[in-house]
Amino acid sequence: MIDAIRAEWIKVRTVRVHWILVLIAIAFPVVVAALVGVFNPDPQFIFAKDVIDLVSGVSVVSILLLASLWVINLTSEFSHGTIRVTYAAIPARWKVLMAKAAIGTVVTAVVLTVTFWLAWFVGSTILSARGATTMSLSDVPDVAGMFWSLIALAVIVSWFALGLGTIIRNSPASVVVVLLWPLLIENLVALALNLAGVDSANKWMPYQAAIQAVGDLDGYSDVLGRPAAQLYFGAVALGLLVIGVGLDRRRDA
Amino acid sequence: MIEVAGLTKRFGRHVAVDNLSFNVTPGRVTGFLGPNGSGKSTTLRCMVNLDHVDAGAVTFGGEVYRSIHRPISSVGLLLDASYVHPARSGRNHLRWLAASNGIGRGRVEEVLALVGLVDVAHKRLKNYSLGMKQRLGLAAALLGDPATVILDEPANGLDPEGIRWIRDMLRYLASEGRAVLVSSHQLSEMSLMAEDLVVIGRGRLIDQCSVHEFVRRNTTSQVRVRSPQVGEILRQARMLGATIEYVGDSAVSDTALISGVSIEVVGETSAKVGAVLHELTEVTESLEDAFLAVTATEQEYRSGGAS
Repeated sequence: MIDAIRAEWIKVRTVRVHWILVLIAIAFPVVVAALVGVFNPDPQFIFAKDVIDLVSGVSVVSILLLASLWVINLTSEFSHGTIRVTYAAIPARWKVLMAKAAIGTVVTAVVLTVTFWLAWFVGSTILSARGATTMSLSDVPDVAGMFWSLIALAVIVSWFALGLGTIIRNSPASVVVVLLWPLLIENLVALALNLAGVDSANKWMPYQAAIQAVGDLDGYSDVLGRPAAQLYFGAVALGLLVIGVGLDRRRDA
Repeated sequence: MIEVAGLTKRFGRHVAVDNLSFNVTPGRVTGFLGPNGSGKSTTLRCMVNLDHVDAGAVTFGGEVYRSIHRPISSVGLLLDASYVHPARSGRNHLRWLAASNGIGRGRVEEVLALVGLVDVAHKRLKNYSLGMKQRLGLAAALLGDPATVILDEPANGLDPEGIRWIRDMLRYLASEGRAVLVSSHQLSEMSLMAEDLVVIGRGRLIDQCSVHEFVRRNTTSQVRVRSPQVGEILRQARMLGATIEYVGDSAVSDTALISGVSIEVVGETSAKVGAVLHELTEVTESLEDAFLAVTATEQEYRSGGAS
């Protein structure tokens, strides 16, 4: 397993597009935080909680970019044929997929941690310099919970992406499904369920429930609680991954 | 030693490999021949567990591929030189492959030097020619210093120097006691490269023997004789049951092709009748002729006649 992780780590590091996606994933929330800091007309009315809400909201884009990275990392192996070299070198295919999942988990967590705090630092520093009230994390209720649930969401999305990529195997199709799942597919399913008379269908859309659980849940009764939403989405993602590993084992490489 | 026993692979109703059995012996280069679509590449993929077999088994030194710990060190593979990520450098391609089987970076540099790619190892693979990718693929196959080497069309895209290099390399690998299985469509090259042959058609074994034996079995040899007294030689040869074919106009030609008797018999017959010989040559057909003769009914895809 260690050999597989080493090999996958080298693969991730040695393709330029992976680095570009990571840089964009980091830069996007940082740039947005900076722009809000620079151009907000009323910085004195911006508080630390507003900056954290902004950063955690925009970080969802970073999560989707990182998910695209993991999809491309896997499915490009099928499109370029390197999966055959990989599976010939490591005949236990599940080890390859688990190594990819392990690398995805660690890299996603590290990148998102850097992104979150860098964006907070840039946004709060600029706003403070422009006369905002003192920016202190101690003024933000449940900041640790928001941060860790964001990291959990990112990691679960990376498993979700890997599972879908393993099942679909095609890069463009997999990326489209990963991106459209929370934006379109779950909304359509929820709409269909609502029309069929199911109440609170949105609450049970796993991806959306996990995204909603990152934010401040006070005052919202129509969402799952944070642990429940993450466990629910985590189970769905792991289920996809298990299906992917099972299918991959049965298919020709 | 590679042992393939009763290998069968189906794609839906199509039987790509049909109860195929053959052995590849250590210390020899074994050519794997078959027309397009005969199941060669499918067989190679099945051998290393990339495609799932419907029946049969393949063992390498008695072990099935998937149970071999760090298989690169036992079985070196080149299935398709284009199986690389174009954005990765040649060196990094070998590094991840080496890491996957616990092989150190030093060995990567060794095989890069062996295949002559050190100077371009830092370049991205999208800038490699097919010949360079073939060399990289061979480097990957040799990364683990394996006892068995399996190569699918390794000479594709190589220039004449590269073809000679790979021929010498494969012979050298075999001389070290490795089992070398190589598939190729370049039959002239195969006749120089391989000692043994496995020939398949429509997924079935047609023949397994040495190259020499395969050509002998599946071609006819003739004796070309040129002499001012050719008529007398041919008269004697006919009496021995030979078949005669003049080269050119039989009324004036001094040259003929004789079938059905050996070159020794023709020489002795010439001496007996006191004929002066200007030429006495055994004309044997090539591996290509033998291959085409054997696979004439096994072609999956047949070209139309030239018009």
